[in-house]
Amino acid sequence: MTRGEGNAPRIRAPQDLLAGLALLVLALLAFWASRALPAGRLGAPGPGFLPRVMAAGLGLTGLALAVLSFLRAGEALGRFTLRGPLLVLLAVAGFALTIRAPGLLVAGPLVVVVGGAASPESRPRELVIFAVIITLACAGLFRYALHLPIPVLVIPGLVNL
Amino acid sequence: MTDLLANLALGFGVALSLQNVGLAFVGCMVGTLIGVLPGVGPIATITMLLPITFGLPPVGALILLAGIYYGAQYGGSTTAILVNIPGEVTSVVTTLDGHQMARQGRAGAALGVAALGSFFAGCFSTLVVAGLAVPLTRLAMVFGPAEYAALMLAGLAFAVVLARGSVLKSIAMILLGLLLSTVGTDLETGVDRMTFGLPALSDGLEFAVLAMGLFGFAEVLRNLEATETRDVVQAPIGRVWPTRQELLQSAGPVARGSLVGAALGILPGNGAVLGPFASYALEKRLAKDPSRFGRGAIEGVAGPEAANNAGAQTSFIPLLTLGIPPNAVMALMVGAMTIHGIVPGPLVMSRNPALFWGLIASMWIGNLMLLVINLPLVGLWVRFLRVPYRLMFPAILLFCCIGIYSVNNSPSDVLLTGGCALLGYAAGKVGLEGAPLLLGMVLGRLFEENLRRALAIARGDPWAILQRPITAGLVLAALLVLTAAILPAVRRGREEIFTE
Repeated sequence: MTRGEGNAPRIRAPQDLLAGLALLVLALLAFWASRALPAGRLGAPGPGFLPRVMAAGLGLTGLALAVLSFLRAGEALGRFTLRGPLLVLLAVAGFALTIRAPGLLVAGPLVVVVGGAASPESRPRELVIFAVIITLACAGLFRYALHLPIPVLVIPGLVNL
Repeated sequence: MTDLLANLALGFGVALSLQNVGLAFVGCMVGTLIGVLPGVGPIATITMLLPITFGLPPVGALILLAGIYYGAQYGGSTTAILVNIPGEVTSVVTTLDGHQMARQGRAGAALGVAALGSFFAGCFSTLVVAGLAVPLTRLAMVFGPAEYAALMLAGLAFAVVLARGSVLKSIAMILLGLLLSTVGTDLETGVDRMTFGLPALSDGLEFAVLAMGLFGFAEVLRNLEATETRDVVQAPIGRVWPTRQELLQSAGPVARGSLVGAALGILPGNGAVLGPFASYALEKRLAKDPSRFGRGAIEGVAGPEAANNAGAQTSFIPLLTLGIPPNAVMALMVGAMTIHGIVPGPLVMSRNPALFWGLIASMWIGNLMLLVINLPLVGLWVRFLRVPYRLMFPAILLFCCIGIYSVNNSPSDVLLTGGCALLGYAAGKVGLEGAPLLLGMVLGRLFEENLRRALAIARGDPWAILQRPITAGLVLAALLVLTAAILPAVRRGREEIFTE
């Protein structure tokens, strides 16, 4: 909680303030993105009708949350750690980039090793061995037992499993 | 009554073919296997396994999917009891007494009662679904666009009350969900809406991507932080088959839980979520010694588990009779049905009775399957769960990636899911929940379509719309529910139920 100086308003619910502001930004973004869409008349609502009504509602609730955060006590912001989200996102991106080619045999261990490092308890050697085992198990389960069209190993011109 | 029996006979005739029983078995098995992973609930499990149904005939695909759903539900309860991590909101209650029982070396009994209670609730609610299907479908036939729009409005209003946390925040998330559902090509005019010129967005946001991001990946991120709440039970599991006394103690809670869960599950707006909470509160109130609750009272497992399963089943009713998915899981079912060329709604029953009654019969078979699979396999799940989380979550990440990739065979979907996960995680940090957003997204397109049509029919006169009695009643109900949510007295009661 921040301590206000003099008569400056005190933020009593930091979570609500942040949430309210984020919603306001989203509402403005939606207004901007739907600016060219005709709203139509009430008797013949156009494609811009619902987006604008919803964006207005969203903006109002966001505003209410932000204003109330100065009046009503609420929860403080929790701790953020960047290691987890960043590594997990990196792992997911790596999977997206490698799944078409060279395929699961590369994408699988990539997700497991990079994503696995997100945990403060991770142990590198154990993780690598596990990555190999779980990738092979996934290839067996999803590709061969359940017949999903997952590229397992694709080296253009050479292998296509 | 004879009609009902004839219909059920037709259904069992379809569902009991060797192939379909096999599919129900595989579905329950794989569903439990994935659903038992800590932090992976039915939404993530179904999204992940949706692609394996693509190659099957429609009836088989839906039966497989229903099996996966029940499997995932039960898998979630298993994790709740053994690891104290609920896969989804509905099994939060099970962690309270279930995990305590597990720590006292009675995990077996907790799991056994959960399975038996779920089975009983499943039998009961299968009958409810079968009995209500015909009359409700008839009701749906008199529904016009105005009634549909009003019903969805009421559903969304319910969702505000049923969501946890701040009322304002749930309203905001529902509005955001509705807003997101309008992204993409407008169905009436063919105009691109809010796509920012990206061709990937012109088909709209993929529901599976959003669901997997918010409920698969984001859950992993949350669990990575909360290391202290995870403790896999090291105590012995004990016998799975409950003792006579435990059975007697559970009978009442199971019966009451089934009733409460089945009734709430029918509500549009994800009433099924409330079932376990309501049942737990009810049992605690009825108990001679309420202080036992939270310390391993078997009634606190039996009632909520029965309510959970009953609600899971009756939430098929709005989908099958009205074509309105009441929650995210049912929205995924719509996706699966559409792939097979079935448009869920009142016409399915008359046009495709084999599919309709086959699905209902397979609900019961799925429940039986769960009992058959889970009681003997409890030991296996326990060993499975002893794999430490530092290895478990990379595996979950991999499963999620494979699942989301397979939905459209699209790597960009995987990237988008990652993005959604990050946003969902950040939103969670300021108390904005994903569940109401998903519901808004689920109902958005239908709501808009019907609202616009209703307004056009009424030539833009809102009063003309409100002169239709059913519409007026539903809108009134929505307003009442919303007002009640803001009233301090109701708000306190709601907090009580969710914090117990």
